[in-house]
Amino acid sequence: MQGRGTVKPPTGITFDSDFGNGIDSLLALALLRGMSGKLETRVLCLSITKANLKAAQAADALSSFFNGPPVAGGFGGGGVGVNPEMIGLATNGKMKEDTPVLDAVLAKKTADGKPAYPSKVGGVKDTAESSVTIRNILLAQNDLNAVMLVDGPATNAVQLLDLYGAKPQIVAKVKYLVIAAGAYPNGGVEAGIRNDIAAAKKLFAEWPTPIVAVGSEVGEALPYPGASIEKDFAWTPSHPIVDAYRAFKPMPYDAPSPGLAAALYSVHPDDGYFKLSEPGTITVLDDGRTKFTPGAGGKHRYLIADPAQKDKIIKLYTELVSAKPVARAAGFGRGGRGASGAPFGGRGASGGRGVLPPAAAAAAQ
Amino acid sequence: MGTAAIGLPFLDSMVPALAAPTKAPVRLAFLYVPNGIMMKDWNPAVDYEGKFAAELPRAMKPLDAFKDDMLQLGNLTHNSGRALLDGAGDHGRCSGSYLTGIQVKKTTIDIKASVSCDQLIANKIGGQTRFPSLELGMDDARQAGDCDSGYSCAYTNNLAWRSETQPLPPTLDPRVFFERLFGDGAILTPEERVRQAKDRQSILDFVTADTKKLETSLGPTDRRKLDEYLSSIREVERQLEKAEKDNSQINPGMDKPYGVPADFAEHFKLLTDMVTIAFQSDMTRVLTFMVTHEGTSRAYREIGIPDGHHPCTHHQGKPDLIEKVSQINEYHTKQLAGWLAKMKATKEGDGSLLDNSMIIYGAGLSDGNRHLHEDLPTLLIGKGGGYLKSGRRIVYRRETPMCNLHLTLMDRMGVPVENFGDASGQLDPASLT
Repeated sequence: MQGRGTVKPPTGITFDSDFGNGIDSLLALALLRGMSGKLETRVLCLSITKANLKAAQAADALSSFFNGPPVAGGFGGGGVGVNPEMIGLATNGKMKEDTPVLDAVLAKKTADGKPAYPSKVGGVKDTAESSVTIRNILLAQNDLNAVMLVDGPATNAVQLLDLYGAKPQIVAKVKYLVIAAGAYPNGGVEAGIRNDIAAAKKLFAEWPTPIVAVGSEVGEALPYPGASIEKDFAWTPSHPIVDAYRAFKPMPYDAPSPGLAAALYSVHPDDGYFKLSEPGTITVLDDGRTKFTPGAGGKHRYLIADPAQKDKIIKLYTELVSAKPVARAAGFGRGGRGASGAPFGGRGASGGRGVLPPAAAAAAQ
Repeated sequence: MGTAAIGLPFLDSMVPALAAPTKAPVRLAFLYVPNGIMMKDWNPAVDYEGKFAAELPRAMKPLDAFKDDMLQLGNLTHNSGRALLDGAGDHGRCSGSYLTGIQVKKTTIDIKASVSCDQLIANKIGGQTRFPSLELGMDDARQAGDCDSGYSCAYTNNLAWRSETQPLPPTLDPRVFFERLFGDGAILTPEERVRQAKDRQSILDFVTADTKKLETSLGPTDRRKLDEYLSSIREVERQLEKAEKDNSQINPGMDKPYGVPADFAEHFKLLTDMVTIAFQSDMTRVLTFMVTHEGTSRAYREIGIPDGHHPCTHHQGKPDLIEKVSQINEYHTKQLAGWLAKMKATKEGDGSLLDNSMIIYGAGLSDGNRHLHEDLPTLLIGKGGGYLKSGRRIVYRRETPMCNLHLTLMDRMGVPVENFGDASGQLDPASLT
């Protein structure tokens, strides 16, 4: 099932999270978009395990913000082959409560009373079933050129696993899954697991690709500095990360963020930012605790924060999360939608891959 | 019927084989129009319950008289029609995947799709009718060659696929279609057909009644033998009933067409008039109709459009081209309305033939200019035998697989299938009823 294109684009990330349940998932999205702005990755799609429409609206609002001013066919949150603005949303009732983070993003108004961060999501019908969205975008990827990043509960990931015909596609397309949930090697109950213990159990037991788990201990070791909120976003009068961060907790505070570490590792697994455990097997106990058992044939590893890398990582976090949106030329990352408009039979590529600009081609793996 | 003469509990199972059906069968038809539809002319205003507003948008306006007979379904998507990793060829892919639900192989030689949903239905219930399914088209039945960026014409010109390598080409010529349906033989009057059936049935009654007399004097083993004997008679009855259908001569009430009319509307009317008869007489319950083939550049001089349909759809925002596409879309639904009127005027039971049908009218692209495969324009017309609560627009969640509709339709046709294409499940029944 190897892709049939001519140029392999950078690894794509499907980002699934409990968006807005805390600040972590927003920071992780900002980091991913910062890296995609540097053509280091592509954010293929967003899916959300928090069953609250506001989560989808806020995710869409942030995506639009990171897209920058509209440009025809611009680079950004684009997926290859499906609507790049698609947002998957769980509707199972889990974590349905409103949060200050979501309200801060959605309630903020401009001076003339309009939403500061407008969203195109008006209702659940403007969202998609997460498993279908992820499956569809994976089908458009070159083999082993996608990483599934799960920040929080595994609800959507296991729904994908259960979707008819999806498992072979996961095996073909997904290099590995990175999940920010749990605590390792053995730890207490963490919210990402607790909020859907059954899904976490199934994920670690049945997911067919390697899994790298990022525990709460990594997030604690590498928090996002509150000081950055005060100084690094001065380039804009209004930024959703700033507003959400301030709303999450009274300032000043540093935000533990396993999602940020997971996002950085997903895009740069071989750049030495983190250490990895030996292979083994992660099991989820009935009470939600996670347990790592070493074993040579195991498909699971967990991430280990390296104190020697802390300053470098924090600097990278702040630079990328606060980066200005980058508008890109048409053709990269948003394929699959438009036609060239040339007469029938004489068209160029109708989308799906597009033509990589030189910088992107150089970044392709 | 003959079963009354037998009148024994263990022969009650014969009743369905002989009795006239108490409920009319449901007919399923797929009408496909190419090159997408001007979506600005498609999605109607609705009230809070999804009921159509008084004024339908332009492309649907000709269907005003059938507001209460149809559902408009929003956000259905064919991911298999998208490029994914196969580059150009949205037209070839979208029609190839429309009823098969898979991404067809990009080739002009060793074509590969999958069994289409209409054929899955025909395979299961087609034995009950003279024709398991019928396939129609109006402008191109080429089965070879490159019709879109490396996609075989077999993909752009066929909707129905009997196997993954065998499409069922549409019949284009009304005369050929007429002869297929009605043949050239003498036509029996209704009285003659009734007399013929009655004569044959009375013989079977006699046989079964006579053998029944023996039963009381038989032991268990012989009774079992008798049972087997009666079962074999029942099988003969089934075969005769089927043969009667196969050989029955339907008076079409129309003259044999001379061939393919130059006029689009006349061509459409001839074909659909015969479909109405075929449905009415239960000659088939499954139809696919590729109104014009995907990617067609057919001109519509009948309505003053000498330009090709497909080039017009790549309008690049030019108002004159957009207007032409709108006119073509409207012209198509105007023809559809003519057929629906006939279906609605054809009484069946307490309702109409339309009430007992599910007619899907749609396209494999939404925006033909941009080649979008999401929010495909889809009408579900008819009441499906009383199942569908029509008169509404139903908007599903984005990316809802079109194959979910196909799964639902198969189920309603009595062919429940667990998986089809990229379906994630049937459409929520509560949304339809």
